[in-house]
Amino acid sequence: MEQDSEKIKQQALSDFAKYIGPMKVRTMKAAGLDIIEDKRDGASVWDITGKKYIDCQTGSGIMNVGRHNREIVDILKTALDKYDIGVFLLCSKPKADLAKMLAGITPGNLQCTIFGVGGGEANDAAIKIARGFTMKKEIIYTEKAYHGHTGFALSAIGRTAYKEPFEPLMPGFRMVPFGDIEALKKAVTKDTAAVILEPIQGEGGINVPPDDYLPAVRKVCDENETLLIFDEVQTGFGRTGKMFASEHWGVVPDIMTVAKSLGGGLYPISATIFTEEIQDFFIPHPFIHLSTFGGSDLGCIVGMAVIDYIRKNDLPAHAMEMGKRFRGGFDRLTKDFPALLLEVRQKGLMMGLQYTNESIGPRLTKKMAERGVIAIYTGNDPSICRLMPPLVITPEEVDYVLNALEDSMKELSKEAGLGKND
Amino acid sequence: MATSQEILDALADYQVQCNGNKRLRKMQRDWSKLLHFVADDTGDTFTMNVVNGEIISFGPGAEGAPDIIVSTTSEDLCNMFWGDLNPSQKYLQGEIRVKATQEDVVRLDAITMIIWPDA
Repeated sequence: MEQDSEKIKQQALSDFAKYIGPMKVRTMKAAGLDIIEDKRDGASVWDITGKKYIDCQTGSGIMNVGRHNREIVDILKTALDKYDIGVFLLCSKPKADLAKMLAGITPGNLQCTIFGVGGGEANDAAIKIARGFTMKKEIIYTEKAYHGHTGFALSAIGRTAYKEPFEPLMPGFRMVPFGDIEALKKAVTKDTAAVILEPIQGEGGINVPPDDYLPAVRKVCDENETLLIFDEVQTGFGRTGKMFASEHWGVVPDIMTVAKSLGGGLYPISATIFTEEIQDFFIPHPFIHLSTFGGSDLGCIVGMAVIDYIRKNDLPAHAMEMGKRFRGGFDRLTKDFPALLLEVRQKGLMMGLQYTNESIGPRLTKKMAERGVIAIYTGNDPSICRLMPPLVITPEEVDYVLNALEDSMKELSKEAGLGKND
Repeated sequence: MATSQEILDALADYQVQCNGNKRLRKMQRDWSKLLHFVADDTGDTFTMNVVNGEIISFGPGAEGAPDIIVSTTSEDLCNMFWGDLNPSQKYLQGEIRVKATQEDVVRLDAITMIIWPDA
């Protein structure tokens, strides 16, 4: 049986390399992450060979309600007996219900929704709406930002490597440093349609802005009649200890994008949520932005079940509590391994470990995988490990991750090549 | 321990392998970098100049301002250029250290995969 699963795994990896991409398989193998996901439950996933892992990557925050959440699976199963995705041109009750629910849980006067399938599509829609509504062209985004790989969203990514091969991209996009209000003040003009940013940068390395930053951004936008777009794709739905990260600073955007965890890891769905005032743009253009699969009936039913589950189990509060437990361990590790761990950046269960140099991220990723934890360095910077476990993670599982990290660091400390600035 | 000449011989073979591989040349045609290689144990250094995916020169000494610095033992350098060791594995063990952007680290690994798919 074990031999069979190993054989199936090797065949899958071989087919993946041949028919999808060899470098992905090579990279995953090198990092000890050549996992073929089989059973999934709570904070854990099992490789097809039976090895268990605690998932601290979760597709960068898709699984806030846990892997293969049984309650939501059952709701989806029941829905499948009646529904399909629906015809996108027609009005739909699940769509209306979810949009109403989103209006209820988002801050301020965010009320209207356009649905999509993924985060990039949601951000594309946000930028389109901003340009259409304001009739202005300039978009300001931030260094190290990540908003997705589609057209408008790609133009707003703060990482050259993702963009360079595809230039020329959309014109009118301008980048400023994240967290630097003076730079933003200089960049925003009366021609700026929108400022788009993540309240806490995810892919960029879990960068939490200074406390006065987001309120000041809001003020700059208001002074210039510029819309403020918050990309809450990774930070939303309880991840940071509040339903949405921007609530930590009491700042309400004009447009908010959400995706990832809205689908519960079961059905892809995203949403671009905006004010009633902005809705006026669509009154004369009701069919100007369409998505065949966006906001499918099944996706909306899952989205509602996810929100219900998060509220019923108060996952934001649990995320805050488990975040504190992680923090206690991180503080100890920072003290015990100063040659490895420089600082910790964190809000709730959105956590980033800043290592002392770039060789450590890939090496610790491998050591953690050997110990049954999926914890991967960020794409933007291999000296940062991003940890985003499911919000249903238990205290025992937090302790397991911390022990694995401590063991990995102990082992790494004994190895070669740890000089600073290697 | 490998001598400077042994590493240069390995580099010469590596140049032939890389420049003679049409698939690799096409794949790397947008990649121009100056690389330094450092043998930690002997202190020997080497420079390689890649222009549009072609290795146009290599030689002893650290010339110019490098985009990429690869450091390891002289023996590992030699074995790496002969294709006798998997540099990704050594990199993850901390025995090969690369100072470069993440994109360039991936590029180096991609070159290895194309030339020595079984390494």
